[in-house]
Amino acid sequence: MSADKKAGLNRRAFLKVSTGVAAAGAGIALPGKGFAAGPKRLATLIDLSRCDGCPGKDMPACVGACKTINRDKIPKIHEPIPEPWPRKTIEDWSKKREVFNRLTPYNFIYVHQAEIEEGGQKRTVFVPRRCMHCDNPACATICPFSANHKYENGAVVIDQDLCFGGAKCKAVCPWEIPQRQSGVGIYLHILPSLAGNGVMYKCDLCNDRLEAGKLPGCIEACPQQAMLIGDRKEIYAQAEERAKAMKGFIYGKKENGGTATLYVSPVSFAALNGTMKKQPGRPDMGPAARRMAETDKMGKVVLQAPLYGIAAGVAGAFMALSRRKDRLKGGEGSHE
Amino acid sequence: MSDKIINEKGLVVRHDLVELVEHWAIALSGLLLLVTGIFELPMANRYYITSLPGLSWSGDFIKSLYIHYAASVVFIAAAVFHLLYHGILGEGGMIPRRGDLKVSLEVMKSFFGKGKEPPFHKYLPEQRLAYVGMAFIIAMLILSGLVKTYKNLYAPDMSLTLVLWATWVHNVFFMLFILAFAAHIGAILLKPNRPMIRGIFMGTVRLDYARHRHPLWIKEMEPESPPRDEVKPEPVPGGEAAKDEIKEETGEDPPPPPVVVSEEAPQEELKEEPKKEP
Repeated sequence: MSADKKAGLNRRAFLKVSTGVAAAGAGIALPGKGFAAGPKRLATLIDLSRCDGCPGKDMPACVGACKTINRDKIPKIHEPIPEPWPRKTIEDWSKKREVFNRLTPYNFIYVHQAEIEEGGQKRTVFVPRRCMHCDNPACATICPFSANHKYENGAVVIDQDLCFGGAKCKAVCPWEIPQRQSGVGIYLHILPSLAGNGVMYKCDLCNDRLEAGKLPGCIEACPQQAMLIGDRKEIYAQAEERAKAMKGFIYGKKENGGTATLYVSPVSFAALNGTMKKQPGRPDMGPAARRMAETDKMGKVVLQAPLYGIAAGVAGAFMALSRRKDRLKGGEGSHE
Repeated sequence: MSDKIINEKGLVVRHDLVELVEHWAIALSGLLLLVTGIFELPMANRYYITSLPGLSWSGDFIKSLYIHYAASVVFIAAAVFHLLYHGILGEGGMIPRRGDLKVSLEVMKSFFGKGKEPPFHKYLPEQRLAYVGMAFIIAMLILSGLVKTYKNLYAPDMSLTLVLWATWVHNVFFMLFILAFAAHIGAILLKPNRPMIRGIFMGTVRLDYARHRHPLWIKEMEPESPPRDEVKPEPVPGGEAAKDEIKEETGEDPPPPPVVVSEEAPQEELKEEPKKEP
């Protein structure tokens, strides 16, 4: 048994250990029926010290598995795609489904290859990139149709039957993860040239598979066991443990207010980010503040607003009653 | 409510300061909510609203959400204030009365030259009906908005069923709010209703207009007796002199007259009018 396996780094071993140790219900990452059932909060761990980008394969195994699982997800595209008005942006990836080196509506995960030079030594680090499944995802909370929702298990899922493809989720995501496919979705049945522009697509953590007790495709397919999924607390503890062991770094714990995806890396994320140029479908790994936090204080005042109304209404009414009483008294007095 | 006839100026006080502040707080914050709600759809960037001078922020969903929140503080507080303040004071002039629907139809027909409109109270019957409709729309917007805000702050993984209900109630009533707002503006622009516009800005309407169109309201404010300069120093029914007469005849105090709490102005006038003969 390798040191890794002893430390519980093997995916299956991790799941088994979790099952044994946390059987009392602390949260178990159990492949099989009931894996994600119940309100268990899950998290995933991506260990960059283990990912090798799947050399010799046409595409990394995680990417291939994801593509296979989601191959028929997007319905047939309406031809011709209605031209939106007045801004005529159309995004059509239906004829480029094979693309796997960036995020597209047909590709929810890709692997970035980072060439790092550290201490005079060159090193290649492979970084699988997909939705981070944030703890408080603006993409979901401010979707005007609630087509994007965060489930109790932590998965942030877009309902393609409700999405209008306005790309608001992409605009508020620090990594601009969701990708649009025009010519598909509910907007076609309403006002296709005036409102909506397709459907947004991204990784949904294979939520259907989770509910069926299966692992997400990318995690199941990884030959290096570079990815784990399990109880959030245990994954967080694992990430800390691994980062400490490799004197490495963690990304995703605080970014965008916290996420359900933790990257553990032997090289700094600042160095990794230096190899990434943020461009469409290719997110960077820079610091990511949660912009929605700017509205939190005012949001709390909104929740208090009914109390302000009650206080002012009751006080105002009693003042008015008191004035009315005084007037009546004054009136009576004038007769004496 | 301090409805009062100001004969010397030829005006009638239709709304007091509290009512004006309530109306404009709800109207202006509601308008801001409506606009920022549209920006959240998202529409600003697509329709080049972001290119308009001073509106570049409209494409920033976080900024427009902040403004939406700020406006809703005023909107919610004003709506709750309105409900409690007038509820406690027992001011229900805008609550629909029996037969309002039928009379409303007659009034609307009269706008198109069919028939004559009946004499009105302070509010037109359709105003009372519209008030209840708008109040319901506002209540639903506030309730669903509060659920959505709570979700944004504390419960992003709230039950999807509840989130969908809150979202679609908010969206549907947002559309109804736009329609109700358009109908409100449309109604006030109708020629017979235009004299009321002054009321919502200044608090007063012209007395001749009120006498002509709202005689039932004027009747509530005016005493049964003729105007003051024509009043002869005679005891009025229920006045102190009358009380004395009853006491002399029966040896008992007469029962107190009913007090009309909401009609302050007539009471004030009545207070001055009954004069005891020396």
